[in-house]
Amino acid sequence: MLTVTVNGVPREVVRGDRNLLSFLRYDLGLTGSKYGCGEGLCGACTVLVDGQPLRACMTTTGAVAGGEVTTIEGVATGETLEDLHPVQRAFVEEQAMQCGYCIPGFVMGTIGLLNREPHPSAGQIREALAEHMCRCGTYQRIEKAVQRAAGGEA
Amino acid sequence: MSPLSIVGDVQVGFPAVRTGYGQQTYGNTQPQTQRATWVRIEPDGSVTAFAGKVEYGQNIRTGLAIEVADELRVPLAAVTVILGDTDRVPWDMGTFGSQSTARVGWQLRKACATAREALLSMAADRLDLPAADLEARDGRVVSKSDPSRGVGYADLLGEQELEIEIAERPTVTPPSEFTQMGRQHLIRVDGIDRVTGRAVYSQDVLPEGVLYAAVIRPPAYGARARSVDFAAAERMPGVVRVVHEGSLIAVLAEDDEAAALGARVATIDWELTPGQPGRFEMPSHLVESGTEPFTMQERGDLGEGFRGAAHVLESSYYIPYIAPAPMEPRAAVALWEGDHLTVWAGTQRPFGIRQELSAAFDMPEERVRVIAPEIGGGFGAKSPYGLATEAARLAKVAGRPVRVAYSRADEMAWSNFRPAALVKIRSGFGADGRLTAWDSVAYHSGERVMIGRRGADTPYDAPHVLSVVYRSDSPLPSGSYRSLGAAVNHFAREVHMDEIAEAIGVDPVELRLRNLSEPRFRRVLEATAEAFGWTGPRLANGHGAGIALGIDVGSYVATAAEVSVQEKEVRVHRVSAALDCGLVVNPEGAANQMEGSIVMGLGGALFEAADFQDGRLLTTTFARYRVPRIVDAPKIDVRFVGDDDAPSTGAGEPGIVPIAAAISGAVFGATGQRHRELPIQRYL
Repeated sequence: MLTVTVNGVPREVVRGDRNLLSFLRYDLGLTGSKYGCGEGLCGACTVLVDGQPLRACMTTTGAVAGGEVTTIEGVATGETLEDLHPVQRAFVEEQAMQCGYCIPGFVMGTIGLLNREPHPSAGQIREALAEHMCRCGTYQRIEKAVQRAAGGEA
Repeated sequence: MSPLSIVGDVQVGFPAVRTGYGQQTYGNTQPQTQRATWVRIEPDGSVTAFAGKVEYGQNIRTGLAIEVADELRVPLAAVTVILGDTDRVPWDMGTFGSQSTARVGWQLRKACATAREALLSMAADRLDLPAADLEARDGRVVSKSDPSRGVGYADLLGEQELEIEIAERPTVTPPSEFTQMGRQHLIRVDGIDRVTGRAVYSQDVLPEGVLYAAVIRPPAYGARARSVDFAAAERMPGVVRVVHEGSLIAVLAEDDEAAALGARVATIDWELTPGQPGRFEMPSHLVESGTEPFTMQERGDLGEGFRGAAHVLESSYYIPYIAPAPMEPRAAVALWEGDHLTVWAGTQRPFGIRQELSAAFDMPEERVRVIAPEIGGGFGAKSPYGLATEAARLAKVAGRPVRVAYSRADEMAWSNFRPAALVKIRSGFGADGRLTAWDSVAYHSGERVMIGRRGADTPYDAPHVLSVVYRSDSPLPSGSYRSLGAAVNHFAREVHMDEIAEAIGVDPVELRLRNLSEPRFRRVLEATAEAFGWTGPRLANGHGAGIALGIDVGSYVATAAEVSVQEKEVRVHRVSAALDCGLVVNPEGAANQMEGSIVMGLGGALFEAADFQDGRLLTTTFARYRVPRIVDAPKIDVRFVGDDDAPSTGAGEPGIVPIAAAISGAVFGATGQRHRELPIQRYL
């Protein structure tokens, strides 16, 4: 039996060819990771696998078996602003959202970026988030939120 | 039951509700009851507000909460806003036309002012103090002369169950006394739910025992299934049943992938409709199929206007269909409990969908509940929502809850598109650029005539004007999209103004000012030019600048953009915009909407177009349909220049109205090439 650790909890996988996003959303009920395009082009389904961002819609449970998957639900469970992860807090404080559907993906992509590069330049932020879509167009705020989370000028 | 409920008329949410526009556009959506509860004060003194609008990104939940908190003198945290649930909120025609703050917000303010007046009067009795000595503050009524004397709303109301009608003219709070409205509220009341993944969208609704449906949709518009062979699908593991009822063809399974696989192995013989106009035929098709000419604006005598002109300029402008492409593809979940139906659908029209379901199943609306949860973007497109009926039909057949969800390809193909349009403008003007004649003829695709008419009247002072809008045939379903046809009509008109400026060698800002007497237009234009640092279309570094103005949903707007062009790519570096939408209730929310409108409009200006041939959409993935990304986003500066005493008008749509013309003008400044067709990058 394959096992995938999701937000710290080992989960048994019945089928290794199960789409990872479907597994998270429909089998585990972790609906914070969103379906946006199903082909890795919008970033709404982004999760972390061993700390690095991955498009859940483009992979299978088998491909991440043995790894540590973190979804948006595993980032922070707090009810107040103070309980949030600094990246989540920065998105709230910059009002970097409208409909919010893309935001869990952006948060995961940003956490992944800051894991690799704690003090990214504007260019690095844009490059890292270039394959995330926000159709509401809140990019200017998202960029500021990432800078704020990185401790830079917001 | 609550200690205090404020009730009132439900028909306030959309101006045309009594004019028949709704019936004409959306079928017979009418309220079942004329009165409903708008505001409740709960036993603990907290406040619940109810509105038939939905939250699809425009931040209306926060905006309404701010209005309620300010009028009722309670902290923002004490307010809960319930939206879009037909069993709980006042009837509403739909969330469109930027009416939520303007109309529903105003109704809630009146309801809260009524409640406040009632509380003050009750407190006067309770405290035995003159009403003039009392004020409401922080959830209490207190004496102005002796602040130690007061009573909290909860204590004051006690165990009563009062119901009060919204007063005709309650004392709403004047802007000078606002403590929450008009202030900066960066943090949305639903912000934390959005960054933690707790916000539930229709894609996320998964009731116990839900079956996943894969609805098989035709390969093209006009296609019909001659025969369906489900033999292989029925043998697929996980498939529970297959359905072929009229045009509804679906596979139901225990999980989403089994349903999708079942659908993939179904063998369907499709009968196609050949000879449908495609993307290349659209410009001529629009003109040839134009019917029902409607005069939007007529004054003076065009013949006289052109005879008095020193110059005459004639141009045509073409705008293709574009796709709304919201981040969340539509989804609906239906649950039958006995003869009661509940459907979760991310629609802008929960009450309209309830009416459709009631008709489809021939049951009274009281037994149908439609819940619009969080909506992952709509921009006008999510008014039609056929998935709701599909899910309900399938759930009835299956005897279990059923979830129907669009894939990205479905959402890109089976949506409704911003209509394609062709606009011809002929203008006459003097040597100084003052217009003498303005003759505009527009052809917009689609049945819904209001779309093409919006924004088709010129704000300029020409003495002789004729503006006519035709309704043309639409090979694709045309529908609402941010600002409807206003962005399209504005593009044509504002590019034409730039052409006049160029023809006589006058600066585009100066040319517009010479033709504008309305002070609100002049103010947004001058504020934008100043904020942008306008110096003309040609900038020293090879960049170009463009500027345009407009009006939509009662709000005046102007936008300037700076671009550079390298080969086939236009880069928009910065945008300045000024908006006069009267009183701004929630400035941060309004700014966010303006920024979003500008980014969305940038996509339509530069690279978005829904391509199709033989009824088949060719742009069904984000690989083929480019939308703005973070790397395309300019630096945006928005300022509000309206008067606080003027009523609030819309802020969600005006931002998209001038941006395409501003970008076209800026590209002209950079390259010398005039772009009268969108998207510009196709023609570089």
